[in-house]
Amino acid sequence: MINTLKKHRSPWLFIFFLCAMGCTLPPKNPEISTNRSPYQERKGNLENEEYVMVTTAVTMPMYMNRDQRAFLKWGEERNVKVSVLGPADWDVPAQINTIEEVIGTQPTGLLINGTDPAIAQVINKAVNAGIPTVVYDSDIPNADHAAFLGTNWYEIGRLQAEEMVQLIEGKGKVAYMGILGMSNMETGFQGYLDVLKKYPEIEVVGKYDSKASTEEAARISSDVLSAHPDIAGISGFDGPSGPGIALAVKEAGKAGKIKITTVDGEPEHLQLVKEGVIHMLAAQKRELFTWYGAQFLYDMVHGTNRLSNNDAKAGITSIPYRVDTGLLKITPKNIDQFVN
Amino acid sequence: MKQILQERIYLLIILLVTVCLVAGITFPTNFLTFSNFSQILLNVSVDTIVAVGMMLLLISGSFDLSVGSVVALTACLTAYLMQVLHIPIPMAIVLGLCAALVLGWINGYLVAYKGINAMIQTLAMMGIARGAALMLSGSGSQNLPYWFNTIGQSKLLGIQMPIWYMLLTVGIFTFLFKKTIFFRRYYYIGGNEKAADLSGIQVKKMKMLGFVISAGLAGVAGILISSRLGAALPTFGRGLELRVITAVILGGASLTGGYGKIPGALLGTLFMGIIANIMVISRVSGYWQEIILGIILILTLGLDKLLLKRYAQTA
Repeated sequence: MINTLKKHRSPWLFIFFLCAMGCTLPPKNPEISTNRSPYQERKGNLENEEYVMVTTAVTMPMYMNRDQRAFLKWGEERNVKVSVLGPADWDVPAQINTIEEVIGTQPTGLLINGTDPAIAQVINKAVNAGIPTVVYDSDIPNADHAAFLGTNWYEIGRLQAEEMVQLIEGKGKVAYMGILGMSNMETGFQGYLDVLKKYPEIEVVGKYDSKASTEEAARISSDVLSAHPDIAGISGFDGPSGPGIALAVKEAGKAGKIKITTVDGEPEHLQLVKEGVIHMLAAQKRELFTWYGAQFLYDMVHGTNRLSNNDAKAGITSIPYRVDTGLLKITPKNIDQFVN
Repeated sequence: MKQILQERIYLLIILLVTVCLVAGITFPTNFLTFSNFSQILLNVSVDTIVAVGMMLLLISGSFDLSVGSVVALTACLTAYLMQVLHIPIPMAIVLGLCAALVLGWINGYLVAYKGINAMIQTLAMMGIARGAALMLSGSGSQNLPYWFNTIGQSKLLGIQMPIWYMLLTVGIFTFLFKKTIFFRRYYYIGGNEKAADLSGIQVKKMKMLGFVISAGLAGVAGILISSRLGAALPTFGRGLELRVITAVILGGASLTGGYGKIPGALLGTLFMGIIANIMVISRVSGYWQEIILGIILILTLGLDKLLLKRYAQTA
């Protein structure tokens, strides 16, 4: 073959032939187990034990104040090294790049924020590299992580819609907003719409992109209030939306009249519930995601609750596969229990 | 020595080597490994391809803020064509790239022929392209066809394909800028647009073409990132434009135009990629990463200015 190529004196064909010879295609049907992967219990030297959390938008206040704070506190309590890594902005490819680089450093355990199904491949890479891996916030289909802890986003949408229906007595115009394009939020939107479509007297006037910004949420809400002065309620699906919607409603002098439901339980959200501007918060128990996520990793590594003679050989794990930490429903009725 | 002082690219090479040596000594088991360097190159491949287009624009004295959104739109449109309209993969890729070229043409036409400020025009296009990507894909398209994924997931000689595409892009454009009069005209345009126009260079046409090439490369980057991840997300490329402009300026370009070399785009992204990698290995928190990159940019440019000043004094 090479002689034939040489005979025709075609260097390009020769180069193409060499490239084709050296080319490796990705596996056509990557093995995806329906069960969570078994893990290798680590014995011996655990002196340099280190657990790494990789998220995106690492500087988002909610992530810092709740997820990361709980994770860092867990590290202090267990007296092990913990690190928080990831891009400052919402950038899923950059989160994937960070995970890839962390895998090379072989941490004891990896706690990953399930930001998008696109991170499945890199989770599997971590698992195949023998790193115990747990996902939190949103589950990642087709990934082989040992456990998932989080909230059902469809349930967040459903809870908000059911509360909104009660608040506006089943009729009127409503709008909702969040970060468009985020898979978990789109699931929440679906839960919201599935409930509202059962009420023919409720009209959904719009779905808007808050761009994870309080200012943008306030601007959108003022526009909605101008376009629909008779709007009955507005819902938010990301942390910054709630204060933004509340600001616009307050400035329009309609605080309390226009019903607001939103997510998260940051101090500013709680204060707005206390003031009667926001009527319901569907808050996630985010601290539990990372605290118990880290604890699961620790238990896997230390074999805390062995369920067989050798869990790895038995193909089992001794931690729960899936934990739904549930939601906190915060309303004016129970707000005093959440503020100082 | 004269060349080292005059060209920022050489200063960057010295800095890169120094940083690698220090990191290699500090983290001998994690940093100086084939897999780590291969990972760094893979991570910067998409940014570098976009940076080559941005370098071309900056040489001509312009820039494009819509490249990140064009990456997202190309990825989402190609995925939409393949998965929803069931168009064959090669055709979907061609149409996705055509969409990117059309956006580049619109940017270029309005900036070059209608005199709209490049920042305003490309800022507007950034929003339009991002909105279109969101409309097309909602929360994103997953499980893209296998043969599409092979574009970004295959390996050649043990190295993942996006690295080869990156090297090929840098190689082709380095050759074009070194060996063809056509591309060297961008330096004259960036140096003095009026003089270039008076000397017979078709400035408007060339500026428009610059935007088309830049958008085309952003389109290629969109195809690559989606095939590498096997998914197309409307959030692709958020903040990419500023990251790429930073890298290109680090690599020797100037916002005033007329300066820069194509390999500088690669060195700029590589430098940022290596710094990011070292921060991951040394477990520097994500809070610090942006601050450190900002400080490095200021220090590099400051050092560059200082060396040039010294050179001017001694010459």
